[in-house]
Amino acid sequence: MAAFRTRMSRSITSALADARPLPWLYSYREDAQSTRLGEQVLRPFVQVSLVHEDQSTSQLTGLIDTGADAILASNLLTVELGIDLNDNEGEHRHAVGGRVLMARYKTIALRLHPSDSAEDVYCEWQAPVGFVEGWHSDGLVLLGSVGFLDQFTVTASRFAQAVAVEERHAFDDRFGTVLSA
Amino acid sequence: MQPLRTDFKGYEGQYVAIDARTGKIVIADKDPHVVLRKAKGRNHVFVHGRVPYADEPLYHFGLG
Repeated sequence: MAAFRTRMSRSITSALADARPLPWLYSYREDAQSTRLGEQVLRPFVQVSLVHEDQSTSQLTGLIDTGADAILASNLLTVELGIDLNDNEGEHRHAVGGRVLMARYKTIALRLHPSDSAEDVYCEWQAPVGFVEGWHSDGLVLLGSVGFLDQFTVTASRFAQAVAVEERHAFDDRFGTVLSA
Repeated sequence: MQPLRTDFKGYEGQYVAIDARTGKIVIADKDPHVVLRKAKGRNHVFVHGRVPYADEPLYHFGLG
């Protein structure tokens, strides 16, 4: 069976990130959902903000989700960004959290901030974001494969209770190229 | 690493923003736009989202 993958050109820019080069480490964070079987729920969150033209959001909770194929976010954020979702790049239905949600996609810029949420330190890249009506938590952005995990190498450990975000070539540096280009 | 802990009690039904260095809630309001607006440009602060009530279901993520 032929194996292939598409490698995109480098597209991340940074602001003051050179002074704090990747990897950036993030401790797992307690979720607002109280408990599961009496234990606290800890999740691999990172801080991101969304940017469209000259508008940007505050820093938001981004959940790293390796099972998700895309980046999804609340459509309430389009108010902050001045985005008209009637001018979208496509619509798709997703099953998320036991519900079927309609996402309308728009390519915008995202910024990853370090764990202390320093406002002026970030890595920025462009990605399609699916804006969803009726999102269950409006400060939350779901960071999936296309648009996030193709931009960074992410190592998550519930044992270490931490997430490491590295340059995306870090995986190949560590393990070699698994698939031929 | 030690996880960032936050005491969400008393904020059920509200949207909250958290200080990333301490885990403490620094902004809370039932209107998400108020929290997003107040958090914008604040160093070391991020918007977590809405705090659910105790009897709300535990969300699991991932696209089907």
